[in-house]
Amino acid sequence: MPVTKKTNKQLFFNGILMENPIFRLALSMCPAVGISTTVMNGVLLGIAVLFVQVFSSCTIAAIKDYIHPRIRIPTYTLTIATWVTIIDLVLAAYMPEAYKAMGIFVKLIVAFAIITMRLEMFAAKNPIIPSFWDAVGMGLGFMFGMMTLGFIRELLGAGTLLGHDILGVRPLLFFILPAAGFFCVGFIMALFNYVELVFKRMKEKKD
Amino acid sequence: MKQIIRITIGLTISCLIAALLMGVVFTITAKAKKHNEHVQVQETMLDLLGYNGANPAPPDLKLHNIYRYILKDGRKKYLGYMIPVKEAGSLGYKLLIITLEGKFHELIDLSISPEKAIEAQERETALNEALQPPVTFTYADETAVAVTEGKRLAYLVRGEFQGFKTFITIMLAFDPNFRILGMEVMEHEEDPGLGGEIEEDYFEDQFKNKTFEKIKKLDVVKKPLPEEYRKYLEPKLRRTLTGEDLAKIRKMYQDADIYALTGATISSKAVTDGVKNATKKFAYRIEVLDSVIAEHRVAAAF
Repeated sequence: MPVTKKTNKQLFFNGILMENPIFRLALSMCPAVGISTTVMNGVLLGIAVLFVQVFSSCTIAAIKDYIHPRIRIPTYTLTIATWVTIIDLVLAAYMPEAYKAMGIFVKLIVAFAIITMRLEMFAAKNPIIPSFWDAVGMGLGFMFGMMTLGFIRELLGAGTLLGHDILGVRPLLFFILPAAGFFCVGFIMALFNYVELVFKRMKEKKD
Repeated sequence: MKQIIRITIGLTISCLIAALLMGVVFTITAKAKKHNEHVQVQETMLDLLGYNGANPAPPDLKLHNIYRYILKDGRKKYLGYMIPVKEAGSLGYKLLIITLEGKFHELIDLSISPEKAIEAQERETALNEALQPPVTFTYADETAVAVTEGKRLAYLVRGEFQGFKTFITIMLAFDPNFRILGMEVMEHEEDPGLGGEIEEDYFEDQFKNKTFEKIKKLDVVKKPLPEEYRKYLEPKLRRTLTGEDLAKIRKMYQDADIYALTGATISSKAVTDGVKNATKKFAYRIEVLDSVIAEHRVAAAF
């Protein structure tokens, strides 16, 4: 893919809607299915992924001319691992409250597909500023996706939202199990496709 | 061939740069991180003893830290306890060396204050001053004794053991008869949602109030947590139970085994065994320490 022709604003919204990592690119399904059991988990993990994605994208965009094409993937992994470690250390030292809540999630991010893929597809071929906006869009899209899933699963599975009891009863415990994660992701993907179809038809009618 | 060399050099340089970056960040953040850990440990200790915002600790509550070291002199091994002692009205530290059979060996003065003793580095310097070269020492663990009104209130013991993934660190609070006052999981790397649930109240509080005799035989039972027991354990649901319900449930599950977490049997078993081992070992060690202190009339501060 050559240097992108999209504007920065388009890149930003691209990550949230048109190329949402979970629902359109189908990347990083592991956390989407496994960890999106509550809204709070989704928010915390989304924030952590956002930071790692932004820093990694900017780093790779800055050094892309010096990476030998054959060792791209190890270099991406190295960059991601370095940033995850740095973020982990900084959180533990200066934000102990946040670290207690997010600590476990931050270490898992090294293995996420979305970050490596985004580095390969975008940051390795584009300059720093577009990479930055793409990273922000992807990170926020991921967080938005996790929050949606968390909202549905927490409400229907545990009857709570952000820890507060809403329904007072647990409708379907099934929603907290991983299998329900797959179902929810599938349904929301179908929803996204349907909305895109409707948009296309509306556009065609206009022309 | 040239390509391989370029690739190798490229990878090596990248690894070195990454290591350098991580090392720099580590050195900068190390001090703040240690400080946060100390604060968290203090808070956990007070919380386990039942003191929090609403119920503050009595002003004369003191937490005395005992540090255990393993000393090696050639082929012989000894246990070295760094204990706080009362001397002429102020607190100092002495090293009490005990043989593996539990007999008194030596009592050495240490030039270190209780505030400095919290740092491992300071302790090492003091020990190096006090002990002659053929003797080497390695750190084993530390215990805190909570003393109020001149009597022992509780013991706070740390345990570290293998969990499902990596190590789990816990803090246990005992009363003088080794009945568990509380258990708190301090560090772990178990999976969130599965093994990570060992942090939750409904697992940790199952250990509360277990007597010493029960702990020695404590086991894990793979049955779902009974609904009433869950209500008793979770602070939010506890409010829905009446006073006599609480007493009834407490009595019924007093000597029950630990209910394993769904999908995390190994983690549950690891914590239970860890608690069992830590308790048994600690009970034995403190007895030996107390008997030596009493026999030789060491002016221990606890």
